[in-house]
Amino acid sequence: MIRAILQVLVLAVAFGSALAAEPTAVRFGLTAVVVRENLQLYDRWSAYLSKHIGRPVHFVQARSYREIMGLLEVGGLDFGWICGYPFVQKRDPEFLELLAVPVFEGAPLYRSYIIVPRDSPFAALADLEGRVFALSDPDSNSGYLVPQAMLARMGHRPDDFFRLSFFTYSHAETIEAVAEGLADGGAVDSYVWEYLNRTQPDLTARTRIIVRSETFGFPPLVSRLGIDPELRGGMAAALVGMTAEPEGRELLAAFALDRFGTFPESLFDSIRQTADSLRQVPLVAPPPDRTVRIIGDSE
Amino acid sequence: MSWYRPRSWSLSVKIPVTHSVMIVGVALTIGVVVVAQAWVQFREELEEKALLLARDVATAAPGAILRNDYWTLYNTLRQTASHMPARIGEPRLLSGMVLDTDGQVLAHIDPMNHPLGLALDPVDEAERRLLDDALRTVTPSIVTGSSGGSDFIEGVVPITFDQKRLGVVRIRVSMAELEGQIWRAGFTVLVLTLGLAAAGSLLGALISSRMVGRLKALAEGMETVGRGEVSQVRPLAATNRDEIGQLVARFNEMAAELAEKKRLEEKLALSEKLASLGQIVAGVAHEVNNPLGGMLNCINTLKTHPDDPALLRRYLPLLEKGLHRIGATVQGLLVELQNEGEPAPCDLACLSDLRELVAAEIGDRKIVLRWDNGVPGKTCLGCSCPNLQQVLLNLMNNSIRAMPDGGTLDFRSCRENDSLVMEVEDSGVGIPKEHRRHLFDPFFTSRPNGTGLGLWVTYQLVQRMHGTIQVESEPGQGSLFRVRLPLDGDAAKETTR
Repeated sequence: MIRAILQVLVLAVAFGSALAAEPTAVRFGLTAVVVRENLQLYDRWSAYLSKHIGRPVHFVQARSYREIMGLLEVGGLDFGWICGYPFVQKRDPEFLELLAVPVFEGAPLYRSYIIVPRDSPFAALADLEGRVFALSDPDSNSGYLVPQAMLARMGHRPDDFFRLSFFTYSHAETIEAVAEGLADGGAVDSYVWEYLNRTQPDLTARTRIIVRSETFGFPPLVSRLGIDPELRGGMAAALVGMTAEPEGRELLAAFALDRFGTFPESLFDSIRQTADSLRQVPLVAPPPDRTVRIIGDSE
Repeated sequence: MSWYRPRSWSLSVKIPVTHSVMIVGVALTIGVVVVAQAWVQFREELEEKALLLARDVATAAPGAILRNDYWTLYNTLRQTASHMPARIGEPRLLSGMVLDTDGQVLAHIDPMNHPLGLALDPVDEAERRLLDDALRTVTPSIVTGSSGGSDFIEGVVPITFDQKRLGVVRIRVSMAELEGQIWRAGFTVLVLTLGLAAAGSLLGALISSRMVGRLKALAEGMETVGRGEVSQVRPLAATNRDEIGQLVARFNEMAAELAEKKRLEEKLALSEKLASLGQIVAGVAHEVNNPLGGMLNCINTLKTHPDDPALLRRYLPLLEKGLHRIGATVQGLLVELQNEGEPAPCDLACLSDLRELVAAEIGDRKIVLRWDNGVPGKTCLGCSCPNLQQVLLNLMNNSIRAMPDGGTLDFRSCRENDSLVMEVEDSGVGIPKEHRRHLFDPFFTSRPNGTGLGLWVTYQLVQRMHGTIQVESEPGQGSLFRVRLPLDGDAAKETTR
């Protein structure tokens, strides 16, 4: 009995202190659209943003887009750097608001690259029929939607076109899987490939780009609808204003980005159109999300 | 010293060789045991490692397999494989794979050559058998084999989930590095063994040189003793109290005792010489004194009756006889004393002169002389002719005197091997048994007018010629004297020619 009371007391104190700290921390979700392994860079960025908005900023990493989207929906996150495809997916009720879009090589645009191992004989996506293909995330534009659309134009679906396809849940890991030869081809975010081409040229050198897609709106930064407008405004200003400060410019250079800007949502219309066009053809059931824990599930 | 006959080896070789052989034997035995144990232990460790790695992968695999998450499966395999050290000399990972129950590749450490989703199709028959065994196995197992000339150990662990077989993990590690390590260890043991053997040889050489040095000194000392130069043996240094030290000490004691004995013997010989000289002098005095008394009586009588011719006629022969007797005594002594030094060797031609002398001595006695010289005249003797003549003459004179009533005197000579044998035999009175022991003593005589020096002189001469003299006699039957003299080597050759 006494033990139970003590446990309750301990829990209450812990909860209380958590509650006390909670309002001050801003939670920012990161997805596969950026190279998340560079922790020091995110520490610096979080320190920079904290300084400008006057509240601590915690970056939260998740394996899949879906987790980040879920957390944004339930209020576990205030901001998120997501892909254009999840952004254009219908939400009812809407819980996201476009915050800012990175400008990469002069425009808020990027592409999907189809890559193969450097010494591979393949020169087009059609050559990869019956081969192993690496995708990044079922909710990724460049890493899933775009190659799916390319195959659809050829009258195929990934399941019947490739011998095997799998999700790596990271563009960087897709590049690695292709470089290692595990996959005969892969679809990746052009920004991630180019970023790694600067920071880890040994890795990208082991791959070869065979297809460059048309451009799409760069993965945007979003805020949860309903957060404090002052916080939202402060965060937007801090992001857009990074070019004005040497530290901000250093960080942008480290991200290989020009700047963060505000753009209309119409920037992502081409993604929406691609998704809509695919809805016309019989949809392929995406493979189960890797976060679904099979072990322990009683099937 | 023959190298192929170890019994003839010197101690200075035997001891280092024995040391080396022992050390090599012990070191090799220990080395082989240690290396063998290390081999077994390393191998067990490697087997454990291969099995452990395969288990690790098999534990993590089911979720990824069920989700078709080949990337995670590959990463699990790759990360597990990275637990194998990449250092030189450490076991290398040869291959690692996850296969489904049909033998299709779910993950392979070398994806370029073993594509995902395709069946592993080994060309090699042994590999195919291993694959079939791996696909059938229900319990984790260790497989060993050889591919491309290098041995390997493979950990095979089936992947099961909820009692359903999902596939199998195979982790193959190389044994070449292990074998390399064992070879290196073996080489080290060999080098160490040879080093120890060299050290053992040096140590053995050191010990043996000290030991052999002392033994050599001992052997030299014994040789000196053997030559009879006892007084020249210097005491050896007996520093150590080991067995050799004790031996040296005993030797020193023995040498000292021998030296003392020799000194005493020399002293004794000197006294014996003096005693013998005294005996000779006493004998001479007696022999000279006896006739002297009679002769002085004769002279006194003649002085009293100087004009008596009858007395003169009677005494002069007596005087003459006495003087002759003294002369003979002195002559005998001179023979003994004058023959010092080594006389020139002679041949046996001188024996013919001897025959005439004997014949003259026999004169008109009723004695038959039978002369049988079976030795050629040119045979050389290592002695002088007068001495030989003297010996034989003495013996024959005795024989003549032993046959007052006549008889037969035989002289025979012949060669026996490297000796010259001469026999003088008579049919005279013989020698009584009690006389035989004193036969060669000086001044021993059985005749009333004998000097007792004849046989003594004979004996001395034969001895000087390094010969022997034997007597066979039966009272009333006669006597036989046999003289045996060595021929010198050259003479022996001469006669054989």
